[in-house]
Amino acid sequence: MSPSVLICDDSNMARKQVLRSLPEQWKDNVQTATNGAEALTILRNNEIEILFLDLTMPGIDGIGVLQGIKKLNITCNVFVISADIQPEMQAKVKALGAKEFIRKPVKQDVLFNNLQQHNLL
Amino acid sequence: MNEFHLTEDQQDCLQELINIAMGQASDQLARYLNTFVYLKVPSIESVDAKNLMETLSQQKNTLAVISQGFFGYEGIRGEALLVYQEEDSGRIADLLGYEPDELSQDEQLIDISSILTTTFLNVFARQIDNQMSYNAPKLLPNVKDKLSEHLQQMPFSWDLALKVNINYQVTDYSFNCNMVLLIPETAIINIKNVLDRILAEF
Amino acid sequence: MLDINALISPENKTPSALSEQNLTQINNQIANQLNTGILVLDAEYNIVMWNRFLQVHTDKVANNIIGQSIFIAFPEVPERWLSRKLDSVLQLNTPSFCSWQQRHHLFELPHTRPITTDSEFMAQNCTFLPIETDGIVKNICILIEDVTDVCHYQTQLQKTLDELATISRIDGLTQIYNRRHWQGSLEQEYAKAQRHDKRLSLIMLDLDYFKLLNDNYGHQCGDMVLIEVSALISSLLRVEDIFGRYGGEEFAIILPETELSGAMELAQRICSSIATKPLTYKDHKIKVTVSLGVAQLSAEESNYEMLITQSDSALYQAKAQGRNQVCCADFSTSKPID
Repeated sequence: MSPSVLICDDSNMARKQVLRSLPEQWKDNVQTATNGAEALTILRNNEIEILFLDLTMPGIDGIGVLQGIKKLNITCNVFVISADIQPEMQAKVKALGAKEFIRKPVKQDVLFNNLQQHNLL
Repeated sequence: MNEFHLTEDQQDCLQELINIAMGQASDQLARYLNTFVYLKVPSIESVDAKNLMETLSQQKNTLAVISQGFFGYEGIRGEALLVYQEEDSGRIADLLGYEPDELSQDEQLIDISSILTTTFLNVFARQIDNQMSYNAPKLLPNVKDKLSEHLQQMPFSWDLALKVNINYQVTDYSFNCNMVLLIPETAIINIKNVLDRILAEF
Repeated sequence: MLDINALISPENKTPSALSEQNLTQINNQIANQLNTGILVLDAEYNIVMWNRFLQVHTDKVANNIIGQSIFIAFPEVPERWLSRKLDSVLQLNTPSFCSWQQRHHLFELPHTRPITTDSEFMAQNCTFLPIETDGIVKNICILIEDVTDVCHYQTQLQKTLDELATISRIDGLTQIYNRRHWQGSLEQEYAKAQRHDKRLSLIMLDLDYFKLLNDNYGHQCGDMVLIEVSALISSLLRVEDIFGRYGGEEFAIILPETELSGAMELAQRICSSIATKPLTYKDHKIKVTVSLGVAQLSAEESNYEMLITQSDSALYQAKAQGRNQVCCADFSTSKPID
């Protein structure tokens, strides 16, 4: 069973980078969003198990999405993937409910490790 | 002209590389400065020569421009300009952790500029398997009237400029400066090749 | 900029690759023959290597230097500042720079030029490079370039430019501002006064019977009078007043933030000071007087030239009324001259 996945990043390349790093059998069940508002719409209307979330995006950013998920009581495993790697930011997203913080550029082994830690792989 | 313009994919790829470089650079800076420096992921625009002159001349109260040349393998080279506004100058000494009388304002500006430019470009270069060397940074004299003159008198004719707006937020204040990367024709073609190589991996 | 990494990089191996040992010999010899100082520090800022350039330019003994802290070996360097700089090189793995333009020199090395400069020490451009061994930055290479010549010529050039800038503002004979600079200043002061709604007054003055003086005693006497009168007037002014030679024997004073009564008072003082100042030229007692016209900026003027016209016509009136006196522009009745 492959989980339903949402990748939210305003950069096309970054979305592809995450997609490429996913387990092969997951790739048929992946949706993408280019901004926070789009992601929240998808999250509301679909059951998404895993969200890979960028922080810096136009409009509703990653922090906004995390706050939205809390407010709307959506259950979802959120992995933040960001270039903004300062410790304060990592602490902030974890406090808002993100499972892990992954540095950009994302690498497959790092991604797998993180998924395993939460028994998602 | 058009051959220097980046395609949408190339632009996206470059933006992502710059975001990552700026993110890592700001993390390194925060550790070095031993304070919570929060660097917003910058906005990037690519501008041609004429537009750059117009944008820069619109900026009021430009206090100082620091220029520093960089060069790496595969013909990737250019010049970084750090443009500061008047109201932000006094805060730099605080940021660097210097005592006010230890060094002149000029030296503070040169120091912070050099740290910003080299930290950022080092990370950027590493991502594209390159390595940078740098010229000594220079304060451009009397920038108010001379910036356009300087841009015309570059050792190379540059065809593309990347304007990266950097915004620092330190616990109780923030300051802005613009980093402008001026890149000559041959280097653009090389950068485009590198970007295509990265894009081909996906 | 010299890049030591490029010199010693193993990537530079040619097809006829040199042995490791030969390469080291070549690198050592280059380092020792360079006209640039090389100083290598470890992560605790102790000196681990220096080249011949530094050895011959200091009188320190090589054996004592190696292993010593840079701050002990070179007590002249500012410790706090340099530590901070070296920290950035190690922590950020980036080069750092120090130019003679901000700091004339870091190390007190005597210069070898037969030129007299402000400093007895060599002007320097210093570069601080992170040196990676096994992928970790453990050392810092300091390159010290001698830029005494550049510094010397640049300083001379700046001095000359400053002199030229002064000459272009100053009247050669009287050493007060020339007309061009004075008029530029008036334009600025006029704009400032208009913008901030401040007062501004103007005095124009002219030596009486100056042509006669020249005819009777010669032009050298006329020059002497111009110099003496300029000096006397200068001594009566505030720092912010702008005094210039407007024409041959005509002078003008801009009085920022001064109203008409203040300007009139000053004009009277100038008038009587000159009239009572005894001047002698080749045993001749010379009596000099001036006529003065005063005007104040009012709502009527739409450009600074009109202010000159106002005080000029007041000066004309002072002349017509018998000279050696002050007149003020009565702007309620006076009309601008077309």
